[in-house]
Amino acid sequence: MKDSSSIDHHPPRWPIKVLKLLLKNEYLEEIEGDLEEVFQDNVELHSPAKARRRYIWDSVKLIRPSLIKNLSVHSYSSVGMFKNNLKVSFRILKRNKAYTFINVLGMSVGLAIAMLIMLYAQFELSYEDYNPQSSRMVRVTLDYLSGETVIHQDCETYPPLGPLMKAEFSEVEEFTRAYHNDEKTIQIDDQFFRESNIYGVDPAFFTLFNYPFIKGNQKGVFTKAYETVLTRSQAYKYFGKIDVVGESLKMAGVETPFKIVGVIEDCPPNTHLKFNMLISYPTMNVQFRDAEDNWNGNNTYTYLLLNDKANLANFGLSMQAFTKRLIDDEKVRDENVVSQPVKDIHLYSNKSFEPEKNGDATSVYFLLGVALLVIIIAIVNYINLSTSRSLDRAKEVGIRKVLGTSMFQLRTQFLTESILINLFAGVLSLILMLATFSEFKNMAGLPMDFHFFANSTFWLVLVSIIILNSLLSGVFPAFILSSFKPVSILKGRFSHSAKGTFMRKSLVIFQFAITIFLLIQTLTAEEQLRYMREKDLGLNIERTIVVASPHDRDLVKKNHQTYKNELEKFAQFTSVATSSCVPGLPAHDMGTTTSVRLAGAKENSFNYYILHMDAGFIPTMEIEVLAGRNFIENAERDDEVILNEETVRLWEIANPEEVIDKQIKFWGKELTIVGVIKNFHQASAKSAYLPMIFLPENSGLAYTSIKTTAGDVKANLALIEEVYNKNYPNSPFEYFFLDQEYDKQFRADEQFQQVFGTLTGFAILIACLGLFGLVSFTIAKRAKEIGVRKVLGAEVWQIILLLSKDFVSLVLFSMIIAIPLTFFIINNWLERYAFRIDLNVWLFAIPALAVLFVAAITVVIETWKISRANPIKSLRSE
Amino acid sequence: MKITKLGEFEELVLLTVIVLKEEAYGVAIKKELEDRLNSTLSVGSIQSALKRMEEKGLLKSEFGEATNRRGGKRKRIYEATPYAFKVISELKEIRVSLWDAIASFKPGFNMG
Repeated sequence: MKDSSSIDHHPPRWPIKVLKLLLKNEYLEEIEGDLEEVFQDNVELHSPAKARRRYIWDSVKLIRPSLIKNLSVHSYSSVGMFKNNLKVSFRILKRNKAYTFINVLGMSVGLAIAMLIMLYAQFELSYEDYNPQSSRMVRVTLDYLSGETVIHQDCETYPPLGPLMKAEFSEVEEFTRAYHNDEKTIQIDDQFFRESNIYGVDPAFFTLFNYPFIKGNQKGVFTKAYETVLTRSQAYKYFGKIDVVGESLKMAGVETPFKIVGVIEDCPPNTHLKFNMLISYPTMNVQFRDAEDNWNGNNTYTYLLLNDKANLANFGLSMQAFTKRLIDDEKVRDENVVSQPVKDIHLYSNKSFEPEKNGDATSVYFLLGVALLVIIIAIVNYINLSTSRSLDRAKEVGIRKVLGTSMFQLRTQFLTESILINLFAGVLSLILMLATFSEFKNMAGLPMDFHFFANSTFWLVLVSIIILNSLLSGVFPAFILSSFKPVSILKGRFSHSAKGTFMRKSLVIFQFAITIFLLIQTLTAEEQLRYMREKDLGLNIERTIVVASPHDRDLVKKNHQTYKNELEKFAQFTSVATSSCVPGLPAHDMGTTTSVRLAGAKENSFNYYILHMDAGFIPTMEIEVLAGRNFIENAERDDEVILNEETVRLWEIANPEEVIDKQIKFWGKELTIVGVIKNFHQASAKSAYLPMIFLPENSGLAYTSIKTTAGDVKANLALIEEVYNKNYPNSPFEYFFLDQEYDKQFRADEQFQQVFGTLTGFAILIACLGLFGLVSFTIAKRAKEIGVRKVLGAEVWQIILLLSKDFVSLVLFSMIIAIPLTFFIINNWLERYAFRIDLNVWLFAIPALAVLFVAAITVVIETWKISRANPIKSLRSE
Repeated sequence: MKITKLGEFEELVLLTVIVLKEEAYGVAIKKELEDRLNSTLSVGSIQSALKRMEEKGLLKSEFGEATNRRGGKRKRIYEATPYAFKVISELKEIRVSLWDAIASFKPGFNMG
């Protein structure tokens, strides 16, 4: 052995430090020496790095029962001690049923809520996780600029962008476009189906979005026009089987039938791009006039797959240079081509023309935060209740100490109790979750087949929360209660320590501050939602039935006039209008343009929304004309245009009368402004008014809106359907009520509101449970004092006042803390709405008073009982 | 005859201790066994076997020399007790008699 050889390498220090804590002292020297020697051998045999790894691994493996210290001094009885702990814990929990009940109930409700919210957050955060490529994928979008500022963001891009970027960037491995088609009518034999979410995509789509073919061969598909791939459920819907490769289907208005070349699985619920059917991209060029070199219309999503080395941030930089080249080539103007990671789309992207309504990271994290608060409230309850019961337990602690219990044993006793309570709570919370799960899925908008049994994260989090809860809620009582001095307890000179009382009071204040915050937030959100609902929309959407036109454009052009005339004959249909979009529908259904110029005005590039309509639209929707006039019925003029207030405002013209009869340049044509109409909320009051341009069109558009008189809705619908079928045979009849459709925009807000409201309700419940427990225990301690006061002639109300004073002042104090903080948070939160309520005193006063009232009731009920009791009962024993 | 519970690995460690005589300390035992078993052993497995056997009274130990290579820490030299010798020779006898029994039934042992 080369004892004298110079030692250049040293093993890491920390494993020995840890081992010193864990291993029996008498073994340490020998083991340390062995480890060191083995380390040196390994340095010579292998490498210093490997020797270090071995060293750490060996150290870990040393932690085994025969070598570690016994945790308790009396090692031989550690199992027995635990059994005893358990037995005593059970007895104590059984004896104080109310106490156990309050703790278990509070904790389990808190746990159930936190876990449900976690499941919701997990789902929202899991978007695109089904696709292993998604971390390398970006979506290309457009930012419209006015000077340097971004005035509008659009998800849809020009068709040549994808191929061009693949050619120009070495880091772009593959691209796919996805062209969002309008609703189409699909014909299978003599059956007709209306289908939305049909995308025209490139061959790489299936690889990029991870949709392997379950039927058909993926190789070579989608390079020709008129090919289609169905999802599993769509194939079942059309053919009743999935083996449909080789069959064909027809699309209304398209001469050539589509050949089915493959079947794929349905889209998972957690992807931002959901579709029912895919058609080959060349179809878009051939059939839907979306030329491959079209730099004028941006109607397609563009996705890129970057190679492994590409760094997303660097890629963003190289896109700037790319945009500059495009501007130099006069392909684009006042626009920036930007990229965003596909994984960020669902929670962070809110541009126009998103494929579906996206989620919102703020809401998700906000709810998670609140769930955490609810758990904290439950833990605070436990700490407060168990420390306030310290007097009950003080004698027990004193005797145990006198009999020679160690601090360690006492602490394990209290920890065992909190572990037991948390275990009960865990089981109960599972039952609660199972009972409310389908309700919750509805409320939070989760997919119906979502479940948590096989979700390993769920169990991991649940178990960690239970362990953490047990420790958090057990450590305080364990340390405070076990630190009592036996002599003073047994002599009877024991009283609450000032420190314990202070801690308890601050915790109660904290709890109620949270509750007040939650209540104010709920109330404000409720008010905001009501405000948006009741706000004057600038139009009347009631009693309006909207019928979608058939997809066969030629048929609509031919028959629309008779269809409209026949409808107008009925007295119950007061007006009929046709338009390319109706209020409340996604902005998808409207076209946009930046190429609008008021003659003689300076250049600008706002993004204007274009709505085609006939003369009936303004009267049907009851929109106010501010200046000029409506279009003239059946005038067949295509050189007129109507603007809305917002457009005029963006042009910095104060008086709408000024623009009447002026000319605008639009798509290379000169149009005369004949009217300016009042702003109306095309989308809900959540978003700002859109600048809109209205163009005349009589020949029948995507939607026909029919205003009805109050009357039999069913009969009206039947009449409309009859007229529809007469004029448009072979097209499914589809309609909706405009007010209901408009209301759908509030669904996300409503869901959030419901979830949040429920959370708040439970938070209040748990906090009151805690207060109730705390009050009853504190009052029980003062039974003798109350007895003496009564004997000396105190009235019941005086005693109630005396006892409630303390608690009520705690609640008052929590208001002082909560209100300014809440004011700040809520102001921030309201900023997401373009039109919002003004905060007023009542929004704060009502929740604060409500909490005060509930707390006062809790206290009074408890004090009422004790102050009514006969003083003899509390005074006869000493 | 009372059988003292002795695990297979413990028995191997015990035999190694006897073989190594005055050189029987942790790392040496580990190396010897690693050579013979042709596999890597952890310090923990050797140590826990040694400590268990010491508790059962099969081994006794005392501190030996300290070396530089051990970071100045002393070795602990293990030695088998007379009781240990008794236990392993009993174990060996039982094994031998069992093997003899197998040998005498050899024709039947052939499963063809």
